[in-house]
Amino acid sequence: MKKALLTLGAAGLMLMAAVPARAHHAFAAEFDSDKPIKFKGTVTKMEWINPHAWIHIDVKADDGTVTNWMIEAAAPNSLLRRGWNKSSLPAGTEILVEGYQAKDGSNRANGSVITFADGKKLFVGNAAGDPGAAPGAPKQP
Amino acid sequence: MRFFIATGLLVLTAASALAQVAPHALPPPPKNWVQPKTPWGDPDIQGTWTSDDCIGAPMNRPANFGDRGFYTEQELSDRMKRLEQQHEGDLKDTVDSSQRVGTGPPGNWGERARRPCKQTSLVVDPPNGRMPDLLPEAKARPIPEGAGNNNPKADSWEDFSWYIRCISRGVTGSILPVIYGNGQQIIQGPGYVTIMQEMVHEARVIPLNGRPHASSEIRTYMGDPRGHWEGNTLVVETTNFLAGRTGIGLNGGGTPTSEALKLTERYTRISPDEMKYEVTVDDPKTFTRPFKIAFPMTQEPGYQNFEYACHEGNYAMFDSLSGARAKEKAAAAKAAANK
Repeated sequence: MKKALLTLGAAGLMLMAAVPARAHHAFAAEFDSDKPIKFKGTVTKMEWINPHAWIHIDVKADDGTVTNWMIEAAAPNSLLRRGWNKSSLPAGTEILVEGYQAKDGSNRANGSVITFADGKKLFVGNAAGDPGAAPGAPKQP
Repeated sequence: MRFFIATGLLVLTAASALAQVAPHALPPPPKNWVQPKTPWGDPDIQGTWTSDDCIGAPMNRPANFGDRGFYTEQELSDRMKRLEQQHEGDLKDTVDSSQRVGTGPPGNWGERARRPCKQTSLVVDPPNGRMPDLLPEAKARPIPEGAGNNNPKADSWEDFSWYIRCISRGVTGSILPVIYGNGQQIIQGPGYVTIMQEMVHEARVIPLNGRPHASSEIRTYMGDPRGHWEGNTLVVETTNFLAGRTGIGLNGGGTPTSEALKLTERYTRISPDEMKYEVTVDDPKTFTRPFKIAFPMTQEPGYQNFEYACHEGNYAMFDSLSGARAKEKAAAAKAAANK
């Protein structure tokens, strides 16, 4: 598994959105900005649950062991209105996930971006709905 | 495998094209439109209304606008162009691999306004469009942990706001435009109006029969509402709120209000698809004076409230608490190593 985890130069890659927004919860409460993750996995299911959807993926390490990870996505109602449906990320899809691991070290992460095999990236949202909650961003008043 | 990936992308693209509506003006109301009535004679304001068009509008007016409450026609035209550009960007489900992405909210997190908000602020009175000052006693009131706090206290689930706990956003927090889930479904019956929000899914049952408020000993998250009609306007006065947990900000954020809070809302349907909404906030133990917030709500083709069971899937609460414990453990281990 260690080999599957690649560290990004996280702070330098961040792109803060200018839209003032407030999501359901704070990024920093759940996820560790010092634990960026980036690995390939195969979608096993997508949980369309409130307040946020979760994508389950199987991540295969070099030694052949498989670990299940949960990747947090946006609010399901919002995804639905924006055009996602149950077929958007079918089981079996191979994706490259970038995000940040849960603070408690469990196999959960927020999803910043998904990259498909052809190199196209799909924004999935993350827990930093409020720019003030994103690591490195100025705190909102 | 490649087949699956290609299929997934195709489905996603097709679905998005259907779901995303380009910005457009509201259809003009039919000539000689009159407020329809229910079979029992009340003004009929039923439907699912959304405050989406004022998503992102500031609560407090930026100082450079002074007392000017509305954008000029030119400013509105510019803002419409920005919405159109945003829509074009939204239609691209994927971006090139060269594009950088990060932890900020990406476009598909939020829902979109269909037309620009005409107001320079959601607060419309006082004339400067800004919430009045807090009283000293209110400034001292602790604000529950919620979104936007980079270092939340997480000793217990009780440290978090009612919103984070999937309990309530309060009345104003439930209707103010936020990044998603702005639907308000209004259903009327003889003697009652019910308003149900999509996000957190609370139903306010508002009696219209003039009966007095409940005893002040009885307090609830959403207060005790009483409604009456003034012409075609539904006026709802709500008191008996639980104090100290929700504020007047988006999603119930900000300084919590007191048990003295009284809200007076006015719902006026001004065309088939547009509602004028106003709420006067009077909390003499929190603010130096009452103030008024206003914004339009609209009905949109196909728009409906979706399910919002929140508590069962609120993994964020588990992760926040376990994250705080992990942080403490790491700090203790570091302290022990330094001894």
